[in-house]
Amino acid sequence: MESKVNWETSMDTALSRARAEGKSILLDFFNPG
Amino acid sequence: MDAVTYPEPAVIDFMNRSLIAVRVAYNAKPYADDFNVKWTPTLVSLDSGGKEHHRTVGFLQAEELIASLSLGMAKVHFDQDQFDSALAHLEKLLQAYPKSSSAPEAMFLRGVSLYKSTHDPKPLKQAYERLEAEYPGDEWTKRAYPYRLL
Repeated sequence: MESKVNWETSMDTALSRARAEGKSILLDFFNPG
Repeated sequence: MDAVTYPEPAVIDFMNRSLIAVRVAYNAKPYADDFNVKWTPTLVSLDSGGKEHHRTVGFLQAEELIASLSLGMAKVHFDQDQFDSALAHLEKLLQAYPKSSSAPEAMFLRGVSLYKSTHDPKPLKQAYERLEAEYPGDEWTKRAYPYRLL
């Protein structure tokens, strides 16, 4: 099992992967501090 | 979320298997404005075209997060009339996380999805009866109240 969540940091990449893999997207707006 | 929820093995496994996770700063342009983000964490479920279908604001523990993300995936399918796929997510959520705060909405949406895929009103009445039995007083039980008459 992987040891961390595989976060994308680019919306364009996330959208491309979502289309290619047939998945939905979680968009997390966070406070980087 | 970074300190408590995201490091949980169940969360890592669920998120890496089930969806594409992307994070941006709360003030990142143009997304913060596009999605009208006012607080963190704000978690938004999108379809592969970038359209919003579900959101939550505020901290969630692991089980609540997985249940909420499952509900978000179900709503992505529901909103696109993909009722079988929506039902698959809803059934898993209700089986694995019946005590979660997402469960009552999932039960409501399960009844509606069954109705929309069969045009049989019985699932709506059954949804109300289960909501009344399992989640009395919940917001989604109140929303299903008219279905008792079907």
